[in-house]
Amino acid sequence: MKDGENSAQNLAPNSALNSSPVSFEDYSIVAQGLQKSFGKLRVLSDLSVKIPRGTTYCLLGPNGSGKTTFIRAVAGLLHLDGGDLSVLGMPISEARMVRPRIGYMTQHRALYPDLTLQENMEFYAGLYGIEGRRMAERISELLDMVDLAEHADRITGDLSGGMYQRLSLACTLIHEPDLLLLDEPTVGIDPVLREAFWRFFDDLAEGGATILITTHLMDEADRCRIVGYMRAGRMLAEGSPEELKRLAGLRPILKLSVKEPEASASSLAAVGFDARVTEGELYVAIEEHRQIKEVLDLVEPLDLRLIEPTLGDAFLRLAEGSR
Amino acid sequence: MTDPILNGKRVLVVARRVVRQLKRDRRTIGLITFLPIFLMILFGYALSGEMSGINLGIVDYGGQDDLKDHLASVDDFALLFLGSESDAERLIVEGRLHGAVVIGEEGDEVRVLLDGSSPQITNSIMAEVRAGLTSGETPEGAVGGGADGSGMAEVGIKKYGAVGGYGASGVSGGSGGFEGSPEIVKRYIYGYDLEMMDSVGPAVLGLVVFFFTFITAAISFLRERTQGSLEKFMVSPLSRPEMVAGYLLGFSLFALLQSATTFLVVVFVFDVPMNGSPLTAFATILLLGAGALVLGAFLSNFAKTEYQVVQFIPMVILPQVVLSGVWWPLESIPAFIRPISRILPLTYSSDALRAVMLKGAGISDILVPDLVFLVGFFVIVFGAATLMLKREVG
Repeated sequence: MKDGENSAQNLAPNSALNSSPVSFEDYSIVAQGLQKSFGKLRVLSDLSVKIPRGTTYCLLGPNGSGKTTFIRAVAGLLHLDGGDLSVLGMPISEARMVRPRIGYMTQHRALYPDLTLQENMEFYAGLYGIEGRRMAERISELLDMVDLAEHADRITGDLSGGMYQRLSLACTLIHEPDLLLLDEPTVGIDPVLREAFWRFFDDLAEGGATILITTHLMDEADRCRIVGYMRAGRMLAEGSPEELKRLAGLRPILKLSVKEPEASASSLAAVGFDARVTEGELYVAIEEHRQIKEVLDLVEPLDLRLIEPTLGDAFLRLAEGSR
Repeated sequence: MTDPILNGKRVLVVARRVVRQLKRDRRTIGLITFLPIFLMILFGYALSGEMSGINLGIVDYGGQDDLKDHLASVDDFALLFLGSESDAERLIVEGRLHGAVVIGEEGDEVRVLLDGSSPQITNSIMAEVRAGLTSGETPEGAVGGGADGSGMAEVGIKKYGAVGGYGASGVSGGSGGFEGSPEIVKRYIYGYDLEMMDSVGPAVLGLVVFFFTFITAAISFLRERTQGSLEKFMVSPLSRPEMVAGYLLGFSLFALLQSATTFLVVVFVFDVPMNGSPLTAFATILLLGAGALVLGAFLSNFAKTEYQVVQFIPMVILPQVVLSGVWWPLESIPAFIRPISRILPLTYSSDALRAVMLKGAGISDILVPDLVFLVGFFVIVFGAATLMLKREVG
């Protein structure tokens, strides 16, 4: 546990992302020492996290690590046992004031299966006081975006998993929320559409919205500006995907096929590279991509491959370190 | 940014959604409209059969044991012991009793209340009362002299509708019989010939609406909770009272539809009189339905599945069927259970609907205690239901 805590502290939150000094108002969510137990089970244990405005923030972690509990706390659906939480500049006790600015997409199938897509959208529009022409425009715009326009009059209960998920997202976005809480939003969505979702999320963030996403998919987390890795109700590590990989001690590796691997390895080692030979192949760790040229100045490979570390590798490494 | 707790527009949005959902649910619509008709017809024919034997009420203040023994020994008589003469009167008016004998202390007069509408039954009751009195006291024919009513005052009590009020009692008086034997005072009560359906129909109207509204509401609210939409509401500007109010509005359309069909069957198929204003009856039914809805919303918090909701039926519906005077009068329910009857909404709706339909009562006649109770029940359970929704969070 100790290592994990240290690594989280060592890494100043979001330092690489916001080089300019930030003020308190620049955060959509500020959580300090959150505590929550269900009976004897501790779900949040001294969780602290700051999420800047206008960013995509991904909560990553195994099942039961407290991701959904944190999202529900931010949505004002939980009574915390301890800690301070403010959302969109308001303490969570005043959650009612900021509710209209939050969009919350649960893991449940929360839409009405016996209504049409259009009717579900109209219902949620109505709750947020969107009516008349503005409602019609907004609905057709969103249905277009999630590629469901031609299904508007279908019964929601007949939709496939992926289509349902898309409608659910559209309903969550109906009131153009400043803070989006998305609990595993891309479950069951095909890769092409998922890509479209992410471009859309990036656009929203660009426009100033804050997007908090939970996922257990590493490649999704890789798309977020900031990733927080949660385990057992606390933040184990946080930073941009690149930072986390570096933090885990992972570097890109060049795999080279050369005529004399041992000789090449020693000449690379002589100038400071970490080079090893395994099964007749030469592996060279590099710090930055421009070092590839330096390596190629010294050896002439028959074949070359660059192996980038994945965020998954990083978290496996971090999780091992935390045990 | 301040927002009223009850925003009318949002209530309408919820109501519209509820109506859209129910409208699409053909099976439920069918159930709501046609099952009551089916049930009423079933009840109607089951209940419209002739009563077998003669139902005779006994109001016993002690004394005249021989008379009581004699009446009990008559095979044709089914005896019902009542607490007071006015109970007996009412039951005769409603057609549940053919007559009643009020027995005072030893030596006091014996009052016989008779339903004037069936002379044969009247005669046989009188004959047995005389026989019972003479058997213990004086030899044959002792009462005979006054038997044809020459010495008796006959006081009629008119039926409710004609007078516009109810509970009016006639003046009794007159005497008859020989010295030494107790006087027999005969009173005719002209209840119209009320079939059982007349009295049960109005009450069942309430029962049907209560039952369906309760079940549909409990399941709807359970679904809101289990499918997660309740959680989505909590993050939206929609308040809990708005949500419950939206349901109330949406459901009342269906409750109206349902009571209208049931009402038509009761009035036109079974000829149950409609002496009061149908509007008053509908208002009562809607009030009862509102109570059923919030009760369903409240109790849905204690169920995890729809199967468990069904388990509420014996708990919530059955006591009301048995104890709220829908089928038989409250007076025939043992006194120690009656306090339960007094907290059941159906007790009050049955009373109110009967008063409106049979006796032509207006709003002011049924205000206390019926409407006051129904409003109170609604307000309290509404509060409890919204509080429970709140408690669910966290």
